[in-house]
Amino acid sequence: MAVAEAREPPAPRRRRGRLDLTTPTLLGLPLAWLVVFFLAPIAIVAAYSLDVYSLDPGPHSLTLQAWHDFLHSSIYLRLFWKSVKMSLAVSAIVVVLAYPLAYYLALSGTKRKYVLLLLLIAPFLTSYLLRVLAWKVILGDHGVINSFLFWTGVRSPDHPVSQLLYSRFAVMLVLGYIWLPFVALPIFVSLESLDRRLLEAASDLGASRLQAFRKITLPLSLPGVVAAFLFVFIPTLGEFITPSLVGGTSGYMYGNQIVDLFGTGFPDWQTGSVLALFLLGVVAALTVVFARFLQPGQVSAD
Amino acid sequence: MDNPEATERRLSREQLLKLAAAAGGATLLGSRIEAGRAAVDWVNAESGRLQVLDWAGYGNDGGQAMFASYVKAHPGNKPQFTVMGNESDALAKLHAGLHPDLFRPYVGWVKYFATSGLVQPWNPKQIPNFKQLNPFMVKAGQYGGKQYGIPADWGFDAILYRSDKVHPKAKSWGLLFDDRYKGKIAWFDDLNMLVVAGLYLGHPRPWRQSNAELKKSQDFLIKKKKLARLIWSSETALWEAFGSGDIWIAYAWPNDWVQMKNKKLKVVYMRPKEKPVAWVGMFMLLKGTPRPKLAHAYVNAWSSKRSAAWLENNYGYGHANVLARPSSSDLLKALQLTNPKAVTEPAAHLDRDIPRRAVYARAWEQVKAS
Repeated sequence: MAVAEAREPPAPRRRRGRLDLTTPTLLGLPLAWLVVFFLAPIAIVAAYSLDVYSLDPGPHSLTLQAWHDFLHSSIYLRLFWKSVKMSLAVSAIVVVLAYPLAYYLALSGTKRKYVLLLLLIAPFLTSYLLRVLAWKVILGDHGVINSFLFWTGVRSPDHPVSQLLYSRFAVMLVLGYIWLPFVALPIFVSLESLDRRLLEAASDLGASRLQAFRKITLPLSLPGVVAAFLFVFIPTLGEFITPSLVGGTSGYMYGNQIVDLFGTGFPDWQTGSVLALFLLGVVAALTVVFARFLQPGQVSAD
Repeated sequence: MDNPEATERRLSREQLLKLAAAAGGATLLGSRIEAGRAAVDWVNAESGRLQVLDWAGYGNDGGQAMFASYVKAHPGNKPQFTVMGNESDALAKLHAGLHPDLFRPYVGWVKYFATSGLVQPWNPKQIPNFKQLNPFMVKAGQYGGKQYGIPADWGFDAILYRSDKVHPKAKSWGLLFDDRYKGKIAWFDDLNMLVVAGLYLGHPRPWRQSNAELKKSQDFLIKKKKLARLIWSSETALWEAFGSGDIWIAYAWPNDWVQMKNKKLKVVYMRPKEKPVAWVGMFMLLKGTPRPKLAHAYVNAWSSKRSAAWLENNYGYGHANVLARPSSSDLLKALQLTNPKAVTEPAAHLDRDIPRRAVYARAWEQVKAS
C-alpha cells in the first residue's frame, strides 16, 4: 500500500499567492463584448419602452403605458401572429425540403459530397439584396413565370397571376430560398456524425430501411433539425428587408413595423422599443423551450 | 551757391533712398500683416466636407448639377450626403446622433423644426440668389419673423395613372381607392395618406382632423388597403413597379410622371377635384453647425437660375427661383410655373403643419400594420 501510494503521480503544486487568471481572461473579452454590445443596448431600448428615455424634450417618468397599449392592441398582436405563422411555415417547409438533401449528402457515400455542399452554399457568394431582387424579375406581372404562362396560353397578358409578387407568398418563397442552405448545414452535420454501426446493427437485427430511419437516424439527427429550424425561424420572425422588397401591402411583417416606428413613421421609439423587446422575449422563450431538443436524441429499441 | 539742378538731383537721391527704405519697410510689414491675416483666416476657416442630409436623387446620385457651382468654388469641401427617407426619418437620424450641416424638410414641417431647437435661422444676406426666390415661398419658410427655411424645389402630391389601362370615373383622389383596380394601386408611405383620405372624405380641415374624423379616415384606409398592392417609400421602387406594369395607379410626384413618360408609357398626372397637395422643399440649417458659410454657399448654388432650370427640365419639379423656366411647354403648363401662387389656393392645398403629427403617425402605422 505504501508502495502504491509512492507510485501515485504527485499532485500539481499550486504556487502560493498567484491567482489563476486564465479563465477570467479568456471569458472577459466575450463577456465585455456581450455586456457592451448586447445587454447595454437592450437596457437602453427597455428604458425607451418605459419612457425613461424619450425623444421628446421635457420631464419624463417611468410608465408602462406603451406596454399596456401594445398588449391591448389587436392590430400589433395580429401582425405579430401573422409574422409567426409566416415564419413557422417557411421554417417547416424549408426543413422538410432540406432534410433529404442533407441526408443524401451525408449518408449516400458519394465522394463529391463536399463539392455538392459547396454548390449548395454557392448563392451565398452573391449579395443578399441581389438574390432577393432577382426574384422580382421572375415573379413580376411580366416576369419569367407570367411570360411563360402567356406563351403557353394558360393566361392572357391582360390577366397575369399577380399574386406572385408583392404578396405574402412572395415573401415566404424568397425567405425559403434565402435560408435553405442555412437549414441544410446543421442537418448535414448531425447526420454525418451519426454512428453508422447503429444502422448496420439495425439491419443485422432485421430492421427495414424505413424502420432504421424512424428509430435511429431521425431521433439522432433531431438536434440538427431543431437547430436548423431555429436558424430560420428566429431571423425570419424579425425580417424586414425581404418583405419591404417583395412583400407589398399584404406581405408587411412585424419587423417592418419596428423599423417604421424607429424611422420613417414620425419617430415613436417608445412603441418601437416595446415591439422590439416583445419580439426578443418571445424568441428567447422559444429558444429555451427548443434547447432541450438540442440534446442528442434517444434511440428506441422497441 | 548750390546748383539748383544738383540740389534737385541730391534731393532726388534722398527721396529715392527714403522711398526705397519706406518700400522695404512696407513690404516687410505688409508681408507680416498678410501672414497674420492668413493665420486668422486659417483659424476661422470652415474645414471638412459639408454634411448634407437630403432626399434620394438630390445628392451624388443624379442631382450633381444642382450644386455644381458650389463644388467648383469649394473643391476641398465637397458635400457628403446622407439620404433621408422623409422628414420623420430625418428626425430619427438627428436624434440618433447624425450631425449634418443642413437638411431639407418640406413646408409642412417648418414650424415643427423651427420650434424643435434643432435648427437655426439662415442669414439671407449670405445667399446672393435669395432675392430671385419666390416671395410667397420665402414667406412660407419663415417662422417668428426669421428665415428658417430657404425654399428650393416644389411640386405636388397627386395621382399618376396609365391612360391606356385606367379609366377614372372622375378626377378625384378616389382613384386611389377604386375597387375596379384592386392590386394595381400604389399608395405613399407617409401620414399624408390620412390627409388625402380626409380630403376625399370631405373633412373640413384634413391637417387638423378631430379624433372622430381621424378615426373615420383611418378606418377608411384600413378598409381600402386590400386594393393597394404596394405602399412605396422610395421613388425607385415605384418606378420599377409602375414601369414594369405591376402598378397602374399611384400616389406620385411630378418627377414620377416625367420618369414614366421617359419610359414611353401613356401616363396622365391627374389634378384631383379635391385639389392636389402642394409642397415646397425648405433647406434648414442645423443649430451649431461648424460650417455655416459653406452651408449658405451650398444653398446659394441650389438657388441659382441655372440649377433651377436644370431641376425643372430633368426632374419635372418647380423651383423657387422665379427666373427659371423649363424648356418644355407641357411641363410649364402642368406645373403652372407662370403662376407665382401655383402651390396654394385656389390651385392647390399647400402642405401645412399638423399639430397632432404624432397621433396621425400612429394612426398611419396602424393602417400599415392592420
